[in-house]
Amino acid sequence: MAYTLTRANDAVAQQSASYPLGERQRVEDPMKQQVHRSVFTGKLEDVLNSTVNWGRKNSLWPYNFGLSCCYVEMTTAFTAPHDVARFGAEVIRASPRQADFMVIAGTCFVKMAPVIQQLYDQMLEPKWVISMGQCANSGGMYDIYSVVQGVDKFLPVDVYVPGCPPRPEAFLQGLQLLQDSIQEERRPLSWVVGDQGVYRADMSSQREKHRDRRIQATELRTPDSV
Amino acid sequence: MSTDQSAATVESLTARFGDQIRYEQPTLTGMPVLWVSREALVDILEALRCLPEPFEMLYDLTAIDERMRSHRDGLPAADFTVVYQLLSVSGNRDFMLKVALSEHDLTLPTAIPVYPNADWYEREVWDMFGIRFAGHPNLRRILMPPTWNGHPLRKDHHARATEFDPYTLTVEGQDKEQQALQFVPEDWGMKRHNDDTDFMFLNLGPNHPSAHGAFRLVLQLDGEEVIDCVPDIGYHHRGAEKMAERQSWHSFIPYTDRIDYVGGVMNNLPYVLAVEKLAGIEVNERIATVRVMMSELFRITSHLLFLGTYLQDLGAMSPVFFTFTDRQKAYVVIEAITGFRMHPAWFRIGGLMQDLPKGWDRLMQEFVDWMPSRLDEYERTMMENSMVRDRTVHVAAFDTANALAWGVTGPNLRATGCDFDLRKKRPYSGYENFEFDVPLGTNGDAFDRGQLRIEEMRQSLRIIQQCIDRMPEGDYKADHPLTTPPPRDKMLQHIETLITHFLQVSWGPVLPANESLQMVEATKGINSYYLTSDHSAMSYRTRIRTPSFPHLQQIPALMRGGFVPDLIAHLGSIDFVMADVDR
Repeated sequence: MAYTLTRANDAVAQQSASYPLGERQRVEDPMKQQVHRSVFTGKLEDVLNSTVNWGRKNSLWPYNFGLSCCYVEMTTAFTAPHDVARFGAEVIRASPRQADFMVIAGTCFVKMAPVIQQLYDQMLEPKWVISMGQCANSGGMYDIYSVVQGVDKFLPVDVYVPGCPPRPEAFLQGLQLLQDSIQEERRPLSWVVGDQGVYRADMSSQREKHRDRRIQATELRTPDSV
Repeated sequence: MSTDQSAATVESLTARFGDQIRYEQPTLTGMPVLWVSREALVDILEALRCLPEPFEMLYDLTAIDERMRSHRDGLPAADFTVVYQLLSVSGNRDFMLKVALSEHDLTLPTAIPVYPNADWYEREVWDMFGIRFAGHPNLRRILMPPTWNGHPLRKDHHARATEFDPYTLTVEGQDKEQQALQFVPEDWGMKRHNDDTDFMFLNLGPNHPSAHGAFRLVLQLDGEEVIDCVPDIGYHHRGAEKMAERQSWHSFIPYTDRIDYVGGVMNNLPYVLAVEKLAGIEVNERIATVRVMMSELFRITSHLLFLGTYLQDLGAMSPVFFTFTDRQKAYVVIEAITGFRMHPAWFRIGGLMQDLPKGWDRLMQEFVDWMPSRLDEYERTMMENSMVRDRTVHVAAFDTANALAWGVTGPNLRATGCDFDLRKKRPYSGYENFEFDVPLGTNGDAFDRGQLRIEEMRQSLRIIQQCIDRMPEGDYKADHPLTTPPPRDKMLQHIETLITHFLQVSWGPVLPANESLQMVEATKGINSYYLTSDHSAMSYRTRIRTPSFPHLQQIPALMRGGFVPDLIAHLGSIDFVMADVDR
């Protein structure tokens, strides 16, 4: 599996640098490097990594952040009929400093973008971003002067959930995909142990993964009866 | 709406103001439209507000860029027109004034001394068109960021984001934007301290759990007490009005869904009704009844969302879980009928997207049977709860006169005891055929606004029950050449019809040049679409008047002297979504 390596630079960013900050490069799985070939240290690090990731992915605390229509569907996923607590993500935080991930649920406006950036900066590592709905993914049906054409113009997005708005189930699937990706991550186990870069797995697109199965559906039910 | 009375008003104005009244424009808006001179504008507004049956409310204030308009037969010369729409609740009628402006002299006197709610509307017109209002205390941008260049609703301003350089956010740009968002009390005529105390300025939003979306409120506090506050909006401006100028009449329908985004097809209704007025389409009883039924169903889902979040803002965690369970039940019905949840865009010009599916009545009946006991339970456990009462009774109360002066409509107006529901007063889409009551409040406080909506849900259930019991037979689309999309079975028979069908589907119908307007009693108040057609496949100007905009403007007038928790209770009780404010 290919990975994207991000290194946070301690130096103050240049004024002309544009968001998202930090350098990104495509790399191989760091666990395949020579140093991990040793049965003892390699296995140990592997187990530790999986354990930490397992803990992280099953206690994701969402940031209570909503922009538009998608937020209503996201809230629907939080309430009883869909019960996000099944995935350990029910501890909604009102402060970005306590949250693990942020769902950009709605349209990203030119006036709102600097605010979103500030809120993202206030979140502590490790942190993730789910882009929920077509507006956040690409601007969607709002190719208009006041809308940023996709939140990934300035935020690093981990999972894109399509739909306008996506159903609550789609949000839950997005959350599970984020969990899968977190399980594959390689982060420093401590600030004094090992490589300090963040390695995110490049997960495959669901569209490509399911295409064969999906195009086999040739007869769709008519909408004439319930 | 008595036309005799309107004619009498026009006559008396002409007698008094003479040639200051320039022209009476015939339109399909259902109200007199007078072009008046700029000099006499404020006096005429004052005169209309002081009639025996006064126009108590400045319902809307907007502008039109006339520079590209080709069908202006008989209209006074103008580059820009500013439109004042007045509403008389006592006389149940409307009045529209228009002022012609030349592009070299875009100035008008402010209407704030006559109608206090002109404040935000004038700021919006300045922001969107660059028209100045002399005497306005804070004429600054309201929807666009303070760093924006240009006035978006002018015809020469670009519409698409992709016509422009791609958006990038640099470190420097971020600092600049953050600097521009800083609140400077002196700009708003506020003091940082008085003799006894230093005030605290609290920034609530643009992202705050109680602000229901991207809404910012800056509070000037003395301890817990709100001395003054400044609402800041525009964090949710999706440019829907500009969007309407490049979508065909038909393809704009999905955008209307997203105006009041919890109102679903309720938003389609005023738009398609206004377009049908322009096109001269009459729909049959079945279409009208289905539209009423679906709109009322969405009123219930919207009010359920209100109820859950309103109580959550008061600190009750569980109600939202109950009301969202009910919403889920409603969505089962909505999905079966329309195929979508929140934004079905299911109404069409001259009809519906499709007929009701077989078995719809069983599903709908299940929902209608499910709800009443739930509503009783909510009333008993929540509204009779002493803590909810302590937090809301006599909190943020206002009377009818105050409500009308600020342009408040809908349930928030009726909570003050004012019996003004368009479904009764000006029935549209066949509301006159239904039996239902208009619940009223007495105190106009945060409690009444919550209580009244529970009662409104009961009435909506009554209407839906009547729809189930006597759903008329008929076609789901009107037989009219401008119905969009045209009926398919006819197209398959005849080559001429096929050509027309092709043009209508690819380019869209061309509507006659005229102006029309339709108001409906939407979930949050009166929502209306004011359409200007220039004999084209697209709208020349679409003005969307939404109820939440004036409701937020009223906040400072109510909250001065209140406490922060009261403000939160009030925000919960207004029932607003930001898309309904900023559009």
